[in-house]
Amino acid sequence: MAPPTIAERRPEVVTRRVAAGRAGWHVSATSADHKEVAKLFLGTSLTFLAVAVLAFVLTRIHLITPDSTIFRPEIFSRISTASMTSITVLFAVPFVLGVLGYIVPLQIGARGVALPRLNQLAYWLYAAGTLVFFVSFLYTVPESGLSPLPPLSDDVYSPQHGIDAWIGGVGLATLGFVCWAINMVATLKNMRAPGMAWRRAPVLAWAARVVSYVVLVTGPAMIAGLTMLAIDRNFGGVFFDAGEDGEPILFAHLSWLYFTGIHTIMVVFALAVISEIVPTFSRKPLFSHSAVTMSLVAVGVLGTLAWMVNLYAAPIAEGFTFFAMLMALALLVPIGLIYAIWTLTMWEGAVSTRAPLTLAIASAVALALGLGGQWITSVVGAGLLLENTVAAQQDTILVIVGFVLAGFAALHYWLPKMTGRTVADGPAKAAAFLIVLSASVYGLMMFFAGLAGQPVDVHRYFEDDGVSTLNLFAAIASVFLLIGIFLELANLVRSYGAGRPVGHDPWRGSTLEWFALSPPPAHNFDAIPDVRSPEPLRDIREAIREREATFVPPEPLPASAPPEVGVPDPGDEAGMSDEAVAVDAPTASPDDIVAGEKADGSDSDSDEEVEPADEAQPEEGRAASDEPHEGADLDTEDSEGPGAGSDPESQQESASQPGEGSDPTDTGESGDGSSVS
Amino acid sequence: MTSQSRPPRIYTLVPAFAGTLLGALIAAAPASAAIAPDVAHSPNAEDMRTAYWVMLFLGSVVILGLIGGLLVAVRRFRSTGRADEPRRLTAGRGIVAKVAGALSAFVLAIFIFGVIVSDGVKQATAEEGTEEIDVKAIGQQWLWRFEYPAQAEGSFSEGIATIFSYSELVVPVDTKINLSIDSTDVIHSWFVPALGPQVWAVPGEITETSFIADEEGLYHGRSTVLSGSAYPTMRASVKVVSADEYEDYVAGQNAALSEGQAAVQEAGLAEEEE
Repeated sequence: MAPPTIAERRPEVVTRRVAAGRAGWHVSATSADHKEVAKLFLGTSLTFLAVAVLAFVLTRIHLITPDSTIFRPEIFSRISTASMTSITVLFAVPFVLGVLGYIVPLQIGARGVALPRLNQLAYWLYAAGTLVFFVSFLYTVPESGLSPLPPLSDDVYSPQHGIDAWIGGVGLATLGFVCWAINMVATLKNMRAPGMAWRRAPVLAWAARVVSYVVLVTGPAMIAGLTMLAIDRNFGGVFFDAGEDGEPILFAHLSWLYFTGIHTIMVVFALAVISEIVPTFSRKPLFSHSAVTMSLVAVGVLGTLAWMVNLYAAPIAEGFTFFAMLMALALLVPIGLIYAIWTLTMWEGAVSTRAPLTLAIASAVALALGLGGQWITSVVGAGLLLENTVAAQQDTILVIVGFVLAGFAALHYWLPKMTGRTVADGPAKAAAFLIVLSASVYGLMMFFAGLAGQPVDVHRYFEDDGVSTLNLFAAIASVFLLIGIFLELANLVRSYGAGRPVGHDPWRGSTLEWFALSPPPAHNFDAIPDVRSPEPLRDIREAIREREATFVPPEPLPASAPPEVGVPDPGDEAGMSDEAVAVDAPTASPDDIVAGEKADGSDSDSDEEVEPADEAQPEEGRAASDEPHEGADLDTEDSEGPGAGSDPESQQESASQPGEGSDPTDTGESGDGSSVS
Repeated sequence: MTSQSRPPRIYTLVPAFAGTLLGALIAAAPASAAIAPDVAHSPNAEDMRTAYWVMLFLGSVVILGLIGGLLVAVRRFRSTGRADEPRRLTAGRGIVAKVAGALSAFVLAIFIFGVIVSDGVKQATAEEGTEEIDVKAIGQQWLWRFEYPAQAEGSFSEGIATIFSYSELVVPVDTKINLSIDSTDVIHSWFVPALGPQVWAVPGEITETSFIADEEGLYHGRSTVLSGSAYPTMRASVKVVSADEYEDYVAGQNAALSEGQAAVQEAGLAEEEE
């Protein structure tokens, strides 16, 4: 059920009211609009986050005592399998697809996606996958852990059909991810706004590109592996049967390629989200946009190629282990660079510690701990000591926690775009502290336990292992982790329909998604602006500001008939002044804004450039032809320092937001309760 | 709607929670293991410890550096007012290339270190003249079977069968033990932390590792690959004894084997007579 519209629609935008007779769920389930599909992805995946965390805490509680009898061994294995499959395949990837699927088309100024029905199919394949996996709870749940390695998972050692359900569920979901990636690649390639060359594409759009290609490389490999396993199990195949010259290790390679790909997707997504949030909340541009985007590509490539770090103990040639070690160690370069750029971006900035930034920093801390731990383990000698113990597992869990925090940060940052409402800050900050603190304590305890030799996936350990106390504290920490995550989930759910309404651009973001209304209409944009830099919306504001600064009314306006002025954002009333309103008035029309932006881009103040923006074809060729303007663009950037600093100009910004300007009668928050959206 | 301006009560719980966990941490640390792994008793296990300690130190420095920079920046440039619009830095981007270059050089150095320290970590390098014994370790759900070479010349078992043991491997001290690891069912992992790396036991494929125990004693290990419902009990121990004790052990096993085989043979003969 979509939230009620807050912004008044322009009268000609009536396409969604044609279907007003249909129920909300019906619209959501049948709409191929990328925003509806993305919301389904987000809702479903967050459900599985809750499931996974609950199952995780159950396993930790079971392990408080050495010879625990809370669950029978097979029940324990089922719970832990459900937890690990849920957090990776059913939560992490679809969550990323949901956020990217909603925001990236808006960010690149697209009116939709290239293959909307394929996008929709992606969600329903994933939904079918979750169903197939959890239907197995009606008969036999798979008991073979995150990645059921044959021969344990073949028909001899796992004759029950739980593994088949796992194969079907993961296979269908992965097929969905691949469909999504095909659509995203096509969208990114063909539907960017005019002028948005790749070097001007937002960081999150780059992340979408990297994520898509990682999915396209690792997803089919996993589907192939699953198919072979299914043939082995049900049709007498011998792909992984050593007795018939099969190769059991092959499945380990394919599945680890896939799960390492998921790990890479999580890291790339988290890094990209933080890279979007940090500049906005320091009121400075990203220190180096190109370095961040190139680093994301490097993380995608290196992270995926490093899959064999999980297989040091397996019979693979030493050269391959060193190759994997090099890839995993080299991850420090792009990731360290991105961290340095975050720090340099905040340096001398005006850092506002609202919830998105707090969550982003918490995420960066958890990611640094987890990735640092993995970096330690990636040296072969250390890896052979720590691999497959809980000491190595806790690194992964910290990365997942960092990813979850980045996901929360993304929701805090972009939910106002999706719903027009903010999410409450207070609970989010408390949750961020709770989560990062409890995850660190959990990690430390499990690090000690792993050094003492506690392996992964065990349902019991022995008194003389000396890890009982550590497991007790780890269980306590995991309960606090659960509280933190559920607190934030509750906060999100509560704020989804009842948060404080804000305008279309609550954070003064600099990318194009903030140009659209909140929530965006089905076609996203009435007018698509030309893009001249990585910060198009900032350029638009700048253009408006310049035009207003030089605006001289031909003659004094009669005092009796001032034009109607839009009410400013509730969140921005501090920035309002009478002066700003007075200056704002004459420019409040979308055509003016677009024209103004274009005039700015071509480095002249004339209003004569009237090429309709919405008919411009966003082709690569067009983007390339814009390159000559780059020099002029940089000049503008250099010279705008003093202008941006002076007070009255920055104040009027809040009153001249393009979204509001699109309707002179907009009253800001006149909730349009009747519209079904 | 007031949550923006008035922090909720749960804030006050955070310091309390942090204090509790910190206390728990301090209480737990001496109660069980610290950051030191089991003491190494084989040369390749020592190489692993070297890699671990160096990487733990470097990793901690890296983690603290990454986190520290961020936290300092947040603290120092935190702003509450809306009015201040910071300078847009457009110069100084040269530092990006410098950071990337420095990190690359650092990573390359660590890679070289990693290759040197990890090269041959799966095999213990023995000094000249060290005796060697080949032992087969065969994993099965959920125990290990060890097959020793047929050394007892002239005994009943010569050339026919080897002596064997389950769960506990008995080896002489200061001798290179070459393990050939195999599995008869699913994937297991041979891992005795004090004596070397973990090595998978994969059906249909012989994997190899070796160790040279430098001290008598009992060393425990466990499998680290999920192998079914009794996987936590898939443990192994290595009993390192003196050379004399080892000979006694072999002789005892041989005698027991001969005895057993004789009994079987007798039973078989008796059956034939019937």
